[in-house]
Amino acid sequence: MEKMLDSDLNAPAETVVGPSVKIQGDLNSEGNIKIEGMVNGKVKTSQSVFIVPGAKITADVLAGNAVIGGEILGNIKISGHLVLQGTAKISGDITCSVLRVEDGAQFSGKCTMGNGGTAPVSNGTGKRKPELEPEE
Amino acid sequence: MHYYIIDQGNLPVEKFEKLQTELSGLLAEFKISGEIARVTPLRTVAELVDTASQRGAKTLIACGSDDTFNLMLAALKGRDFTLGFIPFDDNSTLAKILGISDVFVGIKTIAGRRVEKIDLAKISGNYFISFLEFGVMSQQLKDASTWQILKLLSTEAKAFQIRIDDSYNVTISGLGGLVANIRLTSDRNEKIANPTDGNLDLIIIERLGKMQILTHKQDIAEGSLEKLPKTTIIKCKKIEFLEPRGLPLTMLGRVVAKFPSVVEIIPQRLRLIVGKNRTF
Repeated sequence: MEKMLDSDLNAPAETVVGPSVKIQGDLNSEGNIKIEGMVNGKVKTSQSVFIVPGAKITADVLAGNAVIGGEILGNIKISGHLVLQGTAKISGDITCSVLRVEDGAQFSGKCTMGNGGTAPVSNGTGKRKPELEPEE
Repeated sequence: MHYYIIDQGNLPVEKFEKLQTELSGLLAEFKISGEIARVTPLRTVAELVDTASQRGAKTLIACGSDDTFNLMLAALKGRDFTLGFIPFDDNSTLAKILGISDVFVGIKTIAGRRVEKIDLAKISGNYFISFLEFGVMSQQLKDASTWQILKLLSTEAKAFQIRIDDSYNVTISGLGGLVANIRLTSDRNEKIANPTDGNLDLIIIERLGKMQILTHKQDIAEGSLEKLPKTTIIKCKKIEFLEPRGLPLTMLGRVVAKFPSVVEIIPQRLRLIVGKNRTF
């Protein structure tokens, strides 16, 4: 998974939102998106989203893969891999297939994972809650 | 039928006549003769395009400067032609983009007839295939000395307001940038300024530190702005430049519009004869 993410991170983003940029409205793209500024509106792509430390998004994020180091106030729906870096602050629900949470990441919301994503994950640590023991 | 629009532009008479003679000879040699019409104060490029249309010409060739080609493009008015270009100007940006270095290569290219369908960009009723510049990028950074570049890129940033694809508004404190369909460095990064992807690329630079400017001097001179730190790149189909009002948008140093203005892309609209060494 790390290999995949490293190659993704090095891939040039087709859309780059610079640090002094403020976007108001829905940002849709067909390629990779890198956000260093502020977005008040949905971010949507079938490819990867990189939200760098210092960036802030106030709305939902829908993408193929995502690496998040900034702040998001909204729900995140990722069909593939999601990485929350140590600087990430998330206030909202997460849906993804594979999740990696680094030390220091802050997450407040519900997490749904896997195909159909029914297994809940505890806040903050990224550790799965133990499955309920079947009643005897 | 080929219809050649020959424009002297700012060329000295002697050089122009020499090029015209060379052109006539090569057209016969490569067997691609057609009708040749010269631009005069009484016969503008637009009028010649009208004449070509009336005569049933299918291929229009601009022979002259980048301006000749751009004027021909603006005069098409939706009519369906295959376009070509033969440069009379040694410093033609379009010639470099299309991979046509001189008259001989231009004729050879027309004879070879390698046609590419490319996107056509539109601004305020005018059409273009290359790129527009605004802010500091309009100020001939490519030819500026290191000291001039330092001075220009250290100026106060402007607050730009731009609406993209009727979907979102971008507010940015930047120095300037460009809207690219094709550019000279298109081959270096196929995803940016690719004239066949149906998109425009809006590239805006922010204020840079002196060390950053010196480090990226070459990229600035080449127009590879995406390599600069803090650069914003947006791929889109429609750009509405809203603020600051009155700021010029230039094409090769010539003002073509001012803010507020709308730039749109018409995908795969143009059939263009291109050279083997084109940049895209």
